[in-house]
Amino acid sequence: MIRFAPLVTKRLVRQPLRTLLTVVGVAVAMFLYCVVEATQAGVTRATAVVAGDSVLVVYRENRYCPFTSRLPQHYQPRIAQIPGVAHVVPMKILVSNCRASLDVVTFRGVPEQDFLETTLPDFEIVAGSAEAWSHRSDAALVGDALASRRGIKVGDRFSAAGITVYVAAIGRTDELQSRNAAYTHLAFLQEAAQRGGTGGVVTQFNVTVSDPERLDAIAQAIDAEFAADSEPTFTQPEKAFVGRAATDVVEIVGFARWLGWGALAAVFALVANAIVLAINERVREYAILETLGFTGATIAGLIVAEGALLGLLGGGAGAVGAFALLSLQTYSVSMEGVHVEVSAGPSLLLSGLVASIVLSVLAGAVPALRVARGDLAGAFRT
Amino acid sequence: MSFVECRALERTYTRGDNTITPLRALDLEIEQGTFLALMGPSGSGKTTLLNLLAGIDRPSSGELRIDGQEITTLSRAALARWRSVAVGYVFQLYHLVPVLTAYENVELPLLLHDLSRKERHRRTALTLELVGLADRHDHYPRQLSGGQEQRVAIARALVTDPQLILADEPTGDLDAEAAKGIMTLLAALHRDLGKTLVMVTHDPKTATFADLTLHLEKGRLVSPATVGADAPAEGGA
Repeated sequence: MIRFAPLVTKRLVRQPLRTLLTVVGVAVAMFLYCVVEATQAGVTRATAVVAGDSVLVVYRENRYCPFTSRLPQHYQPRIAQIPGVAHVVPMKILVSNCRASLDVVTFRGVPEQDFLETTLPDFEIVAGSAEAWSHRSDAALVGDALASRRGIKVGDRFSAAGITVYVAAIGRTDELQSRNAAYTHLAFLQEAAQRGGTGGVVTQFNVTVSDPERLDAIAQAIDAEFAADSEPTFTQPEKAFVGRAATDVVEIVGFARWLGWGALAAVFALVANAIVLAINERVREYAILETLGFTGATIAGLIVAEGALLGLLGGGAGAVGAFALLSLQTYSVSMEGVHVEVSAGPSLLLSGLVASIVLSVLAGAVPALRVARGDLAGAFRT
Repeated sequence: MSFVECRALERTYTRGDNTITPLRALDLEIEQGTFLALMGPSGSGKTTLLNLLAGIDRPSSGELRIDGQEITTLSRAALARWRSVAVGYVFQLYHLVPVLTAYENVELPLLLHDLSRKERHRRTALTLELVGLADRHDHYPRQLSGGQEQRVAIARALVTDPQLILADEPTGDLDAEAAKGIMTLLAALHRDLGKTLVMVTHDPKTATFADLTLHLEKGRLVSPATVGADAPAEGGA
């Protein structure tokens, strides 16, 4: 079959307008599909609780925004003494925008000791230093995704949500929420948030448990501990917390799944349309090929290969385009201080290519079989 | 044994409520190396017979042996493979592939054979030279005249060196001068290469290039049914 490959490529190259229109259409559809897939994958990564997750978020009960979740910092030792709790980090969250947005700056204030023992080990410092963070009260360690999105460099001062911080370090981490946040000293953020008002109030506690299998039981124990207090808590795994906080985003992205299916249908329809139109034009030409000695199977193979090549070119362009866009720039949909990152890996590129080739082969298969089984003598009478 | 043997060959098909029989109980033998012209009015069964000889169409009944091979029992794929080595077909409207050059059109049937690229090139170039179009090898069909397109089509039919050449009104779409050129070429190829050539034509002038002319009417032969080098000829170039 390989010796017939030039026949297929010559046909595509020498009918450039038809090829270009089909390829561009498939590329746009596949680009859309890949972006939707990347967004869905981001939601799954951010919200799907998996075995091994060991972090709980303790939030004020019936509160859904960092501005309204206010918990006494003195809850920290009471949480720490609950069996199974390995570490508790009180955290003040301040965001530049509470609603869903593509560019939200989230400040996370944590005590220095907790920062050095719990938070810092998750980071690989790529610029600046932890010492610089410790030495300045207004210092911030900025996650690499946020730094990349905002063009932030070490030594900069940047402002958001009404406060200004000094960038002491930039760190790389696999922790999605940390990648998109700036860590400051807790006291600094408490003061800045309250404009000189009360300290001792935090937004949430991040609790690390020693046994991931007891995550739910420990969450219930924490909530039971504060059930009778004036500030009752609601505790859940970090990813479930993200899923609840970003409900609107999750629902929108869930709806976008239909957009992805639509994009795949468009790929199928575009290639099928191109192939069917081509076949209608070439009924006699295929009959000529069979007269010359090409078997029906070979002719069907040529038709399917043409469809597959169109799909490969268009799907490849779309998938590579989406991959390049999402690789060069970090996109993060944020809401209520939590982040859903839209990013692409090689698997997205591969799945886009495979989807477009498979759909294109299917789109070409039925018309190809019709040609292979058509009436040969009748084709000359049309 | 004759090169082509047709026994009680019949083709019937239905169109709507009508049953049409373009070929009726035809008996015909053609010796190897014969240049035969088939003439007859429209609907007399000329093209149907040619299509049956090529295995493009299947008889409703009867036997058809070509070079000792009973082709009516072959599958569609086997027929295609048989055609790729045994038959060259020349169409009235040339039917070249428009996106391929003259060279690529002629090379097309060779892709079905296990030949090196170099050998394909040698045969293609030689055949194009044979039909006088070596200098037009890189032209697309739209850049060629009708006569030149038909020469390319003849080269395509010859390039695999088949024993049987079938031509359906090869000059039907050409002006008189181009038609004469094509027929002179076909006659020379027949004479020099010894191919068996069966040609359908309406034109008596064209038929004079053949060794012998047979007439068909309403699906039946009205001329002698055994033809060959020793048979009495009705016409000739």
